[in-house]
Amino acid sequence: MKKHLSIKVGLSTALIAMAGLVQAADMATASGVLANVATMSVQSKANLASAASSGDVAAIAEAAKRADAVDAAMADAQDAYAAMERAVAGGDTDAAASASDDLEAAQQRASDALNGAIPDAEPKSAQEAWKESQTNTGGGPNKAYDPPNIYNVPWQTQGLRSLYTSLFGSFWTASSQGGSLDDGGGDATPE
Amino acid sequence: MNRQKCVALMAGVVFCGVLSVRAGAVEGAGMMLDEANQSIAAASVAVEDARAAIEKGKQLITQIPADSELLPEVKEILVAAAENWKLAVAALDGAKESAARITTASTQEIAGDYKLLATVNAGVAMSGAKVVQTGLLFVEAVAHDKTESLGIIRMAMQDALAATSQVEFNYERVKTLVAEKYSK
Repeated sequence: MKKHLSIKVGLSTALIAMAGLVQAADMATASGVLANVATMSVQSKANLASAASSGDVAAIAEAAKRADAVDAAMADAQDAYAAMERAVAGGDTDAAASASDDLEAAQQRASDALNGAIPDAEPKSAQEAWKESQTNTGGGPNKAYDPPNIYNVPWQTQGLRSLYTSLFGSFWTASSQGGSLDDGGGDATPE
Repeated sequence: MNRQKCVALMAGVVFCGVLSVRAGAVEGAGMMLDEANQSIAAASVAVEDARAAIEKGKQLITQIPADSELLPEVKEILVAAAENWKLAVAALDGAKESAARITTASTQEIAGDYKLLATVNAGVAMSGAKVVQTGLLFVEAVAHDKTESLGIIRMAMQDALAATSQVEFNYERVKTLVAEKYSK
């Protein structure tokens, strides 16, 4: 019985040790990925300098666009690495795997950007899309209701303001105080 | 007799399993070596380009007037380029050394670690070489009085130096993590 237990304990220890090794290896691989993304950033800057040296404006614009995209991917990679570090420290393997996937995706984006494959516009996240769909709807089923702005005076719109200004302008011109003095043929003042 | 046959059969199965695992390990190591060699080849090209840029730079420096306002900045950039050149050459040697150990590693895991060290070292070599090239583009711009491109090259050089420090930092981190793994 004792022998059986000691085998079990031994196996468990070995498994824990193996898990530790796997995690260490993953962090080392992740650091390698981060180094690779940073290398791509250096390459993109060298390409930008080369384009600047040639004096070709279009080439400079393209190289700058690629360098910016690589830098954006590098920032994402650093965020993913930090998330992975936190997950590994907290023993959350799912979160670590997810962060590792994000890191790989950022590396791929950096590689694509370096080669000129930059998406035109970032697709909106589901949360952003939802937020946009909920703004200024005036209520309704499944719609957010924007409370009225009590400081908004409806008659102070630009159209009405223009109308008032023009009416006042006409009144001012037509009055004895405003407008051209010659129009009235006399002095503005009664004396 | 039956027991003996059974034991012999089991031993045969185990032997075949070991052989197939060994064959898989050799194949895996071969793939790792190919990947590492690709990184090393790209870094070697960058280092050779940097070497050519340095040769060209020697001529260009003589063309900069001694009273040029940009001379102190050129000197600073050359110092940074020289440091990165040394680093690039050493890292390329390190990458080749690590790659050479991939196929002789006793386990797949150790082979994987050597591959990782080789590729990250190749990255350090690549980034160092690119910094040298960028620095010498600045020298060229000053020598040829390309004032309109100086601003962009200066900014690119600063960014490249910052990114290179990230590469080196991560290389050190890889080395530490791998060393920790085997010191346990």
